[in-house]
Amino acid sequence: MPAAKRLGRLLLLLCLYLSLSGGSPADPAMTTQDASSQFQANSLTNMKNGLNESFPEPVTTTQIVSWQTQGSPSDHVTLGREVSVPGPNLATKESKQTSNQSVTSVHYELLLPGASGTSVETTIILDKVVEVELTCVLDKKYSYLKSFQVTWKRGNETISHTNKTGNSWSIKVTVLDSSKMGSYSCTLKGEQQLSGIFHLQVPKIERKEKPMISYIGDTAVMNCECPGYTATSWTWYMTNGSKQIAINESLLTDKYVISKKSANITQLKILKLAKEDDGEYWCEAAFGLGKSKGKLELKVLSYMAPLKPFLAIVVEVVVLIALVVSYEIYSKKVKRTEAEKEFDQIEHLKSEDSGLESSRARQRRI
Amino acid sequence: MSPPVPSDLGYVPPDGGWGWAVVFGASISVGFAYTFPKAFTIYFKELQAVYSISYSQIAWITSIMCATTYGGGPISSILVNRYGSRPVVMFGGLLCGTGMVSAAFCTSIMQLYICVGFITGLGLALNLQPSVIMIGKYFLKRRPIANGLAMAGSPVMLCTLAPLNQLLFDNYGWRGSFLILGAILLNCCVAGALFRPIGPGTASIKTQVPEEGKDALKQKVTEDAMEMSSPVNLPMKNKTEEEGERDCCEKINQYLDFSLFKHRGFLIYLIGNVLMFLGFFAPIIFLAPYAKHIGIDEYSAAFLLSILAIVDIVARPTTGIIANSKWVRPRIQYFFSFSIAFNGTCHLLCPLASSYTGLVVYSIFFGLAFGMVCAMLFETLMDLVGAARFTSAVGLVTIAECCTILLGPPIGGTLIDTFGDYKYMFIKCGVVMVLAGTFLFIMNYYNYRMLAKEEKERKAKEEDPKSVRTENEGRNNWIKETTQDGPELEPLREEQEGLKKEANGTSEV
Repeated sequence: MPAAKRLGRLLLLLCLYLSLSGGSPADPAMTTQDASSQFQANSLTNMKNGLNESFPEPVTTTQIVSWQTQGSPSDHVTLGREVSVPGPNLATKESKQTSNQSVTSVHYELLLPGASGTSVETTIILDKVVEVELTCVLDKKYSYLKSFQVTWKRGNETISHTNKTGNSWSIKVTVLDSSKMGSYSCTLKGEQQLSGIFHLQVPKIERKEKPMISYIGDTAVMNCECPGYTATSWTWYMTNGSKQIAINESLLTDKYVISKKSANITQLKILKLAKEDDGEYWCEAAFGLGKSKGKLELKVLSYMAPLKPFLAIVVEVVVLIALVVSYEIYSKKVKRTEAEKEFDQIEHLKSEDSGLESSRARQRRI
Repeated sequence: MSPPVPSDLGYVPPDGGWGWAVVFGASISVGFAYTFPKAFTIYFKELQAVYSISYSQIAWITSIMCATTYGGGPISSILVNRYGSRPVVMFGGLLCGTGMVSAAFCTSIMQLYICVGFITGLGLALNLQPSVIMIGKYFLKRRPIANGLAMAGSPVMLCTLAPLNQLLFDNYGWRGSFLILGAILLNCCVAGALFRPIGPGTASIKTQVPEEGKDALKQKVTEDAMEMSSPVNLPMKNKTEEEGERDCCEKINQYLDFSLFKHRGFLIYLIGNVLMFLGFFAPIIFLAPYAKHIGIDEYSAAFLLSILAIVDIVARPTTGIIANSKWVRPRIQYFFSFSIAFNGTCHLLCPLASSYTGLVVYSIFFGLAFGMVCAMLFETLMDLVGAARFTSAVGLVTIAECCTILLGPPIGGTLIDTFGDYKYMFIKCGVVMVLAGTFLFIMNYYNYRMLAKEEKERKAKEEDPKSVRTENEGRNNWIKETTQDGPELEPLREEQEGLKKEANGTSEV
C-alpha cells in the first residue's frame, strides 16, 4: 500500500510537471477546415518557395508536371506553376518549363480525343508575358486514320505557322498582351472530326461569394486575392445606380481605406458605414495580359435587425423559467396540503384511540 | 460479486420522477459547455479579416475558452458546495449571455479574448460541473443511464449549433450573431431552473411511502432512522465539531475536498484520465484535414465528422444502458478502461485506412468509442468517490485535465509538421490511449481487490456480537422514547430495517 501510494504520488508529480512545462495552448477547439487549410497552405507555400529558389535563370531546367483528370475532383499538389483547371474529359497533359533568358516558355499538350465525344478542352491561366507552345497529340488507337487535315484556329482566324511531328501538331504563341488571349483550337477533319481547345485566360479573383453583412457605424473590411499570381495593380469600384465609380484619390477620404496586404491581396476598408453604402463593390486586378474583376456584395443593417430575435429569445427564456418555478411552487403546495391532511387524520385517529381507551377505562371501572 | 459503493448521500435518490427533467436540463448545459468552442470556429475567418490577425492569434479565443471551462472546475465546486447547484447554473447562464452580448460590441481582439474567452468560458464552467453533480444527486440505481443521456446532449447540440451558427452568420454578420448567441446561451438559466435542490432535509417529501393512516408518523421515524445510519463522513464531522477542533484544513475541505488526494480510487482516475486526454481530442481535430490530405474533397471530409456525431448520439445513451446492466455495473471501471483501449486501437488502425470507405469505417468506430468514453467519464468518477464527494472531485479532476487537453492537439500538430505525415499523430494518440486504458484496467483491478478486502473487514466488525447488541438496544430504547403506541412498534421497526436494507441493497447492484 505505501509503495503504491508513493508510486501514485510520483506519477502525479510527473504529470503535473509535464503539464506545467508544456507549451502554449494553441488550439484545442475542433477547427477542422481552418486547420486543414492552414496546414495545406503551409505545405504548399513551402513547396512553392523551394521550387522558385531552384530556378536559376540562364540554365535550362525542366520540370514535368503531369496529372490526370478523371470524373471526380480531387486535390492536387502541383509543383511549379499550377495553371490549368482540368477539363472533364480524360486528358493527359505534360507541361515542361524552360527558362530562356527573360521569357518563360510553357508547353501544353492535349491528347485527342477525349473519353466521351470528340472534343477536349482545357483552361490555361497566364498572368505574365510568356511564350506558349500548344500541341495536339493524336491518340495511338487513331493512328489508322489516313487522310485528314489539322487546322489551328483562334476564333475564326486560322493560324498558319504550325509544326507537325509524327502525330502531333503544335503552334507557338507569344502572349504579350490581351490581344493574344482567348481560345485556341486544333481541329482534325477527316473520317472523324476531333478537336481540342485551349482557353488562355487571366487568373480569376478569389473573394467572398456570399454577401458581407455589417452594421451602421461599423467598419466593413473586404478582401480580394489572386493566389499564386502577381497583379500589377488593383482598383476598387463602387456601384452608384448602374454606373461603376472608381474609388480613387478624390473619394479616398477618411471613408475608404485601400491597402495592399501583400503582392496578391488587396483590402478595402469602409469606415463609418451608412445605409447608402449598401450595394455591390468590384475589385479589379490588372495583369500584364489583361484585367480580371470580382464582385463583392455589402449589406448594411441597423442594430434593430438582430435585436428582434434577441428579445424574442430572452422573452422565451423568462417565460420558461417562470413556468418551471411556478410548477415547482404549485407541486410543493399540493404536497404540503396532502401532508397536512394526513397529519389531521393521524391526530383524529389518535384522539379516537385515546377516547376509546378512556371509554374502556370507564367501562372497566364500571 | 464486487464490493459495493455505499450510498453516502444521506437519503435515497429518487431515480426517476423529476430526475428526468434534471437529466434534460443537464444535457442542455453539458451540450453548450462542450460544443460552444467547437461551433465558434465558424467565425474565425471573418474575425481574422476584420482584425487583420493571424490564425494562431484568433485560435487563442477558443483556447482561452476551453482553458477557463476546465480550469474553472474548482471554482464551480466551491460555489456548489456553498450555495447548491441551482443558483450556480443560473449565474453561469447569465455570465455566458453577458459575455457574448458584450462581445458583439467589441472593437479589438483583446476585448474578444476577455468577453468570449474568459467570461463565456467561466460561465460555461459554472454550467458544466453543477449539471453533472445534480445527476449524481438524483440518480443512483439508474445513474449510468442518466449520465449517458445527459452526455448525449453534446453531439445533439453540436449538430444543431453548427448549422445554426452558419445561418446566423449569413444573415446577421458576426456582431449580430454574437448578440443572438448571447440570448441562446441564456437558455442555460432555464436548465438551471430545472435543478430543484434535493438533499437529506427534503428527501422525506420525495420518498414514496404507501398511503396508510399512520403515514406521517412512519415518515418521521424512518427519516430519523436514516439519519442514524448515516454516512461515515457525517459522524466523524460531528465528532470533530463536538471536540471543538475546527482545523483550517477542515474548513477548506468543506469547500473543496482536498482530502480526495488520499483517496486511492480518485488518484487512479486522475492519473489515467490525465494521460488519456493527451490523445483524446487531437484525432477529431485532424480527421478532416487528414481526409483532405489523402485526397478527399471538402464536403466528404465534413461528412465524416457528421457520421461521427450521429454515431456518437446513439452510442452515449446505449453505453449508459449497458453500463447500468447488472453484469457491467459492478465492473464499470473495467468497461471504462476497455472503451479507452478500444478508442486507442481505432487510432492505431487508422493509418491503414487509405480510401474513403476505410475512413468512413474508422469514423463509425471512432464515434462509437468516443461516445462510450464520454458517457462514462463522470459516471466512473461518481462510482469511485461516491456522490457526496463528487462535487469536489469533479473540480479537481477538470483542472488537472485542463493541461493535457490543451497540450494534446498542439503536440499532434507538431508531429504532423515535423514528419509531414498524419500517421505519427494517430500512432501517438493510439499509444497514449491504449497505455491509459491498460493502466486504468490494472489499477482498478487492484482497487477492486482492496475494496473487497476492506468490505470484508467492515463486515467482520459488524458481525461482532457485542457491537450489534448495543446498537440494537440503543435503537430500541430510542424508539420507545419517541413513540407512545406499543403494538405499532413491530411493523415500524421492520419497515425501518427494510428501508435500511434497501438503502444498502441499492449500492450493492
